[in-house]
Amino acid sequence: MSAPNSTGRAPGSSELVRLVAGREISTRLRDKNFLVGLGVTILLLVGLMAFQIATASGGDEGRLGIVGDSSALGPAVQAQGEAVGIDVTVVELDDEDAARAAVEAEDVDGALLATGSAPELLVLDRDSTMEAVVNAAVAGVAVTEQLAEAGVELTAVPEVEVTALSGEDDAAEQEQVLVAIIGVVLLYGLLIMFGQFIAQGVVEEKSSRVVELLLATMRPWQLLAGKIIGLGVLGLAQIVIIGVISVAGALAFDLVAVPGDLVGTVISVVLWFVLGYAFYAAIFAMAASLVSRQEDLGSVLTPMILLLVVGFFIGLQAASEPAGTMAVVTSYVPGLSPLVMPVRQAAGEVAVWEIAVAVVIMIVAIVAAVRLGGRIYAGALLRTSGKTKLREALRAERG
Amino acid sequence: MLEFDGLRKSYGANQVLDDVGFAVRPGSMFGFCGSNGAGKTTTMRIAMGLVIPDAGEVRWQGRPLDQQTRRRVGYMPEERGLYPKMKVGEQITYFARLHGLDAAAAARASAEWVERLGLGARRGDAVEKLSLGNQQRVQLAAALVSRPEVLILDEPFSGLDPVGVDSLAEALLGQVRTGVPVVFSSHQLDLVERLCDSVGILARGRMVATGTVEELRRREAGRLLRVVVPDAAPGWAAALPGARVVSEQAGDTLLELADGADDQAVLAAALRTGRVAHFAWREPSLVELFRGAVAAPSTDEEVAA
Repeated sequence: MSAPNSTGRAPGSSELVRLVAGREISTRLRDKNFLVGLGVTILLLVGLMAFQIATASGGDEGRLGIVGDSSALGPAVQAQGEAVGIDVTVVELDDEDAARAAVEAEDVDGALLATGSAPELLVLDRDSTMEAVVNAAVAGVAVTEQLAEAGVELTAVPEVEVTALSGEDDAAEQEQVLVAIIGVVLLYGLLIMFGQFIAQGVVEEKSSRVVELLLATMRPWQLLAGKIIGLGVLGLAQIVIIGVISVAGALAFDLVAVPGDLVGTVISVVLWFVLGYAFYAAIFAMAASLVSRQEDLGSVLTPMILLLVVGFFIGLQAASEPAGTMAVVTSYVPGLSPLVMPVRQAAGEVAVWEIAVAVVIMIVAIVAAVRLGGRIYAGALLRTSGKTKLREALRAERG
Repeated sequence: MLEFDGLRKSYGANQVLDDVGFAVRPGSMFGFCGSNGAGKTTTMRIAMGLVIPDAGEVRWQGRPLDQQTRRRVGYMPEERGLYPKMKVGEQITYFARLHGLDAAAAARASAEWVERLGLGARRGDAVEKLSLGNQQRVQLAAALVSRPEVLILDEPFSGLDPVGVDSLAEALLGQVRTGVPVVFSSHQLDLVERLCDSVGILARGRMVATGTVEELRRREAGRLLRVVVPDAAPGWAAALPGARVVSEQAGDTLLELADGADDQAVLAAALRTGRVAHFAWREPSLVELFRGAVAAPSTDEEVAA
């Protein structure tokens, strides 16, 4: 061993913060639970999209083979299909054998034998939608033919025109609100998850007493900042990955009407995540620093989690009533706004200045939470016995 | 010099430290003794910046320790602290980096210390899977990995088996040989006596004695005389001038002599009773010094180091 020397330089604040953040990230990235959680979330999302595609296209298209004269039946079937939302393609088949073969090969969803007086529908499995469409078409054609034979002149059946009173782009708006709801569910889940990560990390350091060793090399705020930033980067990466997958999937499978609005909503959810995370990370860390054992964590975290739950439910409620007093008021309340404002934004009920005010209030609250939380954290960190009272921690900063 | 100077700290009305001061030369080991709650841990935490003193400071090479210079101090807290789920090698590397080593140097130093402390095979294991003794070694590695200029260790020997004590003692002596001042606290006074160049005894927040073990002995020596006279009648020494009988049991007599009392007069008196089996100044053990210093609240004689 050589003589004692001063190897390296004194690590600066940013370097210490980076080291702490790096440790948080590498620890979580090797945590199986975290990875499984991320995988499950992505799977759920992909599953949700697959479900959307399946339900949206399940009755979307159909192929019907017709044996016999399809000149009248073909358009009739297509018209009936359109009425129930099925895009029917008519295929002409030569005879019954060809029809059977086509049905069995699943080349067509069904084959109509319209050669005799009693039409027959061949299907692989019974399918009520297909039956209804074909029945209606056959009946319609038969009635028309009989009326024609009887000499009745048919005028065109009038078509009913539909006027939506709530505006034309209602569907698109609904879609956006749906996206915002999914976003709020995600936001809520991620805020709770990363809040818990922060809290558990703080208590782990306290209960394992490693915090004393850490504080011999750095200030409490550096440790806290490293933790919050490290986990924040992970959380942000996670929500961005989810956002990108959803947008890409929605665009690729053509699930949304207005892609621009979808992207806007996803971006606003991501930005609100950043604000919400900064706020909740600070107060979760503060609360966690007051206890020394994982078992005691529940009791100090309950109020914060309740706040999140309240925000979550108001957010959901705001989806159905974005202009309600409850939604409007809570979209300014720090801590609740990240869960309510994205929904209001998606519903298109907010002016830019309203968003700006909510963001500013939130940022002020974040600054306050970080300062107060940091002080309490610093004061309570080395009190490793039992529970520390708030006032004690405030007074005892590095005492 | 590592100097602790005039440290005072009170929590409310409870004065924990009252003018605590001592100095440790580079390349020497300082044993910090005191009963539970005497203020040893608080003193060490003040050195590490974990507790802010009401008055006084800790200096290294003449400059007060601050956040920058503390990274050159290796510290082992009383309550052992490691990340339970982090791997041994990575954990030591992490602490090396917190002390300012760059990534490559930290990895090298970590590998070296893991090997030196016999943890090579456990390098990739989570700390929580290690035995307590091995966890203690990891803790020591965390304190030594940054090649500290100063070592401050709070109860480093507690919880170690005799083999562990020996290997830790060897590691600390190795540090001392390279010129590092080492301060450690311990209840195991025999260990302190064996390892330390100087000793400080803390009682109720005050330093009641500091100096080399020799100095402390000399202070007490020349006062206690043990005479074993198997044939003497009980109370044989009661009338000796300048001597007070501390204890007497079947002729085994412990006498405390006042300043200027004549030990040869005592020997003569002893010989008059018959055979003298033992006659010697008593070398007090550190345990006795410690008891004497800690027991009496009035003993405020402070010996400058």
